[in-house]
Amino acid sequence: MSGFLDSIRCGECDCSVDWAEKRNTVASIAAGILFFTGWWIIIDAAVMYPSNTLFNHTYHVCGVIATVAFLMINAVSNGQVRGDSYSEGCMGQTGARIWLFIGFMLAFGSLIASMWILFGVFVVHRKCDTVYPGIAIFFQNAFIFFG
Amino acid sequence: MLPVPCFLVALISLSFGGAIGLMFLMLGCALPEYNKYWPLFVLFFYILSPIPYCISRRVVDDMDAASSACKELAIFLTTGIVVSAFGLPIIFARSTVIEWGACALVLTGNTIIYVTILGFFLVFGSNDEFSWQQW
Repeated sequence: MSGFLDSIRCGECDCSVDWAEKRNTVASIAAGILFFTGWWIIIDAAVMYPSNTLFNHTYHVCGVIATVAFLMINAVSNGQVRGDSYSEGCMGQTGARIWLFIGFMLAFGSLIASMWILFGVFVVHRKCDTVYPGIAIFFQNAFIFFG
Repeated sequence: MLPVPCFLVALISLSFGGAIGLMFLMLGCALPEYNKYWPLFVLFFYILSPIPYCISRRVVDDMDAASSACKELAIFLTTGIVVSAFGLPIIFARSTVIEWGACALVLTGNTIIYVTILGFFLVFGSNDEFSWQQW
């Protein structure tokens, strides 16, 4: 009877831990795939159009800021959960909130900038087709990873 | 009685898988109609891919929120390295540095090697706690 109860408890523990861990693992894998696919798309676009007239290489700034925002958002989500180890960097709860706010602002800003680049450049030139999927996919991963 | 032959069979099949994957990579580079050695750069990604996971397993020794965050970061970086190893031949083929046939061979080899590395980690990597349960 005690053996029976033990086996039931082990089954429950395994299911709950596996599900939570698997969800986190699957989310990390999905985020990794999206983030790096986004970067490889933009690298592909940079390689295909090396000249500055067709694809202005200044547009890479958009992706860099998005990556920085992604890292900021992910850095602080752990700190908010724990609340104590990150207080020297983020000045506690308020600092963490301000950091997260700035991170989201940068992320949304780069998303909007990428759409602006797409529509502004696409309407004028009709050549830089590959800019949009690359920049847009950067941000899909940021939000998925945060989820 | 049973685990030792399984161990040996796993080791042999993993080495075979690794050899086949490397064979595909070499074919992609060395066949006379391709003869471009650029795809060998994916070897760099093969070697780099287990490193984040190994570092996270060494640095962390208890199971709390910090350890799972470190493990997730390691999985994120490993996935990124795997995606890069697939992306690099595709970019080479799109910018006609190598042929599409060579790209296909290299991607097949990539897949086989990564399945082999994953198999290696599943069978041998977690033998601290997993093998206790097995034996």
